[in-house]
Amino acid sequence: MFKRRQILPALVLVGPFVIAYLVLFIYPSLKMLELSFTNAPLVGEGKWVGWANYSRLFRDSLFKGSVVHTIYFVVLTVIPTTLLGLVIAILVGRLKGWLQSLVLAAFFLPYVLPVTVVFRIWEWVLDSQFGIAQPAFRLLFGHSISVWQDPVWAMPSVAFITIWWTNGFNVLLFIAGLRNISQDVYDAAELDGAGGWTRFRFITWPLIWPVTALVLTIQLILQLKIFDQIYLMTVGGPFNSTQVVVQYIYKQAFQTNHGGYGSTIAVALFVTIAALSVLQYQVLRTRSE
Amino acid sequence: MKTGWKRLAGGLAAALMTVGLAVPAQAKTQVVWWDFLSGGDGVRMKGMIQAFEKDNPDIEINATTLEWGTPFYTKVQTSAAVGQGPDIMTYHLSRMPLGVSTGTLRPFTDDELKSVGLGQSDYFASDWDAAHVDGKLYGVPLDIHSIVLYYNKDLLKKAGLLGDDGKPKGLNGLDNFNAAVKKLTTGNGTYGLSIHDGAPDGSSAWRIFYTLLAQQGGTFMTDNKVLDGDNLEKAQKSVETMANWVKQGWSPANVSYNSSIALFTSGKAAMHINGVWEVPTMVDLAKQKKLGFDWGVMQIPVIFDHAATWADSHSFAVPNRKGNEVSAEKMKAVMTIISWMNHHSIMWANAGHIPAFKAVTESADFKNMKPNSDYASLAETAVFDPKSGITGVASPAYDTATNFLEPAINGQMDAASAVEQMRDELQNDLQ
Amino acid sequence: MRNRLNLGGALITLVTIIAAILWFFPLYWSVITSLKPEYEVVEPTIRLIPRHWTLDAYVYVFENTPILRWYLNSTVTSAAITILVLIMSAGCAYALSQLRFPGRRLIYGMILVSFMVPIQALIITHFVLMNDFGLINTWLGVILPQLIVPVAVIVYKQFFDSIPREYRESALLDGANEFQIFGRLYVPMNWGVTTALAIITFIAAWNNFLWPFLVTNSNASMTVTVGITQIHENFGVQYARNLAGAVIAASPVAVAYLVFQRRVTDAIMLSAGIKG
Repeated sequence: MFKRRQILPALVLVGPFVIAYLVLFIYPSLKMLELSFTNAPLVGEGKWVGWANYSRLFRDSLFKGSVVHTIYFVVLTVIPTTLLGLVIAILVGRLKGWLQSLVLAAFFLPYVLPVTVVFRIWEWVLDSQFGIAQPAFRLLFGHSISVWQDPVWAMPSVAFITIWWTNGFNVLLFIAGLRNISQDVYDAAELDGAGGWTRFRFITWPLIWPVTALVLTIQLILQLKIFDQIYLMTVGGPFNSTQVVVQYIYKQAFQTNHGGYGSTIAVALFVTIAALSVLQYQVLRTRSE
Repeated sequence: MKTGWKRLAGGLAAALMTVGLAVPAQAKTQVVWWDFLSGGDGVRMKGMIQAFEKDNPDIEINATTLEWGTPFYTKVQTSAAVGQGPDIMTYHLSRMPLGVSTGTLRPFTDDELKSVGLGQSDYFASDWDAAHVDGKLYGVPLDIHSIVLYYNKDLLKKAGLLGDDGKPKGLNGLDNFNAAVKKLTTGNGTYGLSIHDGAPDGSSAWRIFYTLLAQQGGTFMTDNKVLDGDNLEKAQKSVETMANWVKQGWSPANVSYNSSIALFTSGKAAMHINGVWEVPTMVDLAKQKKLGFDWGVMQIPVIFDHAATWADSHSFAVPNRKGNEVSAEKMKAVMTIISWMNHHSIMWANAGHIPAFKAVTESADFKNMKPNSDYASLAETAVFDPKSGITGVASPAYDTATNFLEPAINGQMDAASAVEQMRDELQNDLQ
Repeated sequence: MRNRLNLGGALITLVTIIAAILWFFPLYWSVITSLKPEYEVVEPTIRLIPRHWTLDAYVYVFENTPILRWYLNSTVTSAAITILVLIMSAGCAYALSQLRFPGRRLIYGMILVSFMVPIQALIITHFVLMNDFGLINTWLGVILPQLIVPVAVIVYKQFFDSIPREYRESALLDGANEFQIFGRLYVPMNWGVTTALAIITFIAAWNNFLWPFLVTNSNASMTVTVGITQIHENFGVQYARNLAGAVIAASPVAVAYLVFQRRVTDAIMLSAGIKG
């Protein structure tokens, strides 16, 4: 039932958001779909080419490569960062008072930094000539490693730095989740003589699982959209071995002026992430129920 | 510390003044200039800009240096398409057809050239031709630049590879060259030949590859066909030759641009192939006595059948800023700058380049200039990139050099499949 | 019993502290490096404390880059994004939560859907659109595409939903109109949410790289996050300078976090759907 005297205020209140939403979200999305069927440059008109861009997409080895590299990056980050987040949360959760705040701050601070700052920091730490990590590399591997130039090291390095940068977020979610587990459950377990590992395995892990699932899905969707770190640290190299999907969109549209084909790749990304988000939404919903 | 704070405050104050709208100086024409010249090139170009402003008090150049290669050309292309960007910029002649095909460049008219007295007769035919696309002039050449062989005289002498004239000997022919490189690799982290074969891109690999291809009489593109006929074999042979240097341990693998230079300047590599633009690096280091050895530079030896070297040109171009075209008044200032830079390109020769402006190249000053005269002969057999929309700096061809040539050189892909994939991908781009 | 100091527990605490120190170390090392003279930076000995303290690198950055201009750009655009996002989201959330009007379900459905969309996929059409508006290299061009933050609407709506209806009804009896109820009752009752959302929206906008990187191509219009990587002065040793630029760019968000530590962490949990 609508209430007549509520309609006008409602329209005024939702108006700005809806207008912004239509202009900045709905219209660009539809326009992207349209462009994906043309050979338009980045700026300007193109000709309708039907499904040509889409069939090219399936034959394009660089696109396939970028999908594989993105998945590789996701594999290197999502599960490690989730587990590490849980471990750190448990460790930090044990501490009390100022020590806890201090330790938490040390783990969390990187998360609030801009990606370009993170890039500058690690560019310096890992510098092949003067980086402070090089003595450690020499100790472990017997020689220095130029991580960005080495196809074996490049992607794992980007993944490692991404974990360092964003892990604080996961730690926070886990700490909140751990606080929600009632102390009574642990006390009861201790009376039954359960050891540390048993307590974790049979109490913490199952009870924290909803948060774990949440972190996993958030990370999955987040990391599929990787661009910034790759662009800054490896520019997709060496030999395109770290080129990822968003970067390939950028490359096609902005570097080689193929707005149409770039849009086609964007549509593919759009659909993939939307599908995965439905999954995330389901996870969130089961959690709140 | 105290003075540190004071200076910081001073810096802050200076920076504050640049915030907000700078008040344009009166009666001066402001020209926005973009270039990609860093290192020794950058220092010398800054010097030229200052000298120009001194000679022309009515023109002020607001110069910005952007990152060389793809980042620069991406920015230029995008800016021009949205009606923004500089009034004048540096541009590689090799990329001219590609730049024209994306609508990034604005042609120069005959009248504009005549207004400052420039014309065809001032330039070498190859340069003049490369600056034209479909009969229109899109760039005014500044130089011809190429790759050269830098060598460590001390190490070559020790290996018996230095003649009595102080110049290297026995480097011509593939077998001789390889034998020399092998001899110069003396173990313990030393290399006979340092080449740049790692990140960030394959531009250096392309230059050497193209040189070796041309030395076998091969052509990269014939009638819109990439590596047609036996050119494919010649391309494969070029790649195999380079891959062999790495495989044998004579050249380092996966080396970045800066490291490849550092290997040479620190005496760990006896020879180094790189652009003439690194001449100032060596000159400056030697002057500061930081080199620790005698160095020399020469045209790339005849490794295959005849002399040939890849070459390109820096030129000045004007972007086609859609909806915000460079005004006639600005154009006048731009032409003044171009003409001045050409007439004073002897200063640019200090950066290792060979000036494009004949009057300077044929002057006694240039002919006696060291070390430029040691390799100036390369201009006679220089080979420019194919004139097409898929070649040139930051082009699809350079991308394939990054994606196929580099892995092949570093032994992660075999040469035959690298050149085949390169051909297929570029042929695909042409359609 | 539980609190008895045991060796195992102390060991785990020690490991935790060492891990935290290692985690923090790159930050320390970068700040310290930025306070060294360039020649000391490249000395082979590792010095955790500079031999000579200097602000040279900072002076260099202030004198040779338009970093204050970038700061201004970052501050204006991030503040504008924060304010606009909050006003639009709170208003929209209030209407969705408390008012009955046609299209309500449709709008809420659309917001949930847009939650699922990667804004990165829209870079091409956003760029085209901003160009059509003539907004490349402008503050507004940086701001507009960052205004789509559906999560803010959802968070506000959750909080407005949980306010007992009696407040609203008694205000209506007192003759208040919807705007008054919204502005004088619902918003003030949720200042905590607003501050939390303001902090994270601001940090996200300040830290955003991809969009400002695409929409600005002149030095004068860059944000500080983009600007510090676009300075190209490729000669001489410049590690300390690069890091000084990074420290300058990071300080507002780092300080904001250290000051509002608790609120920042609460805000993040809030936006992830966990009420801390």
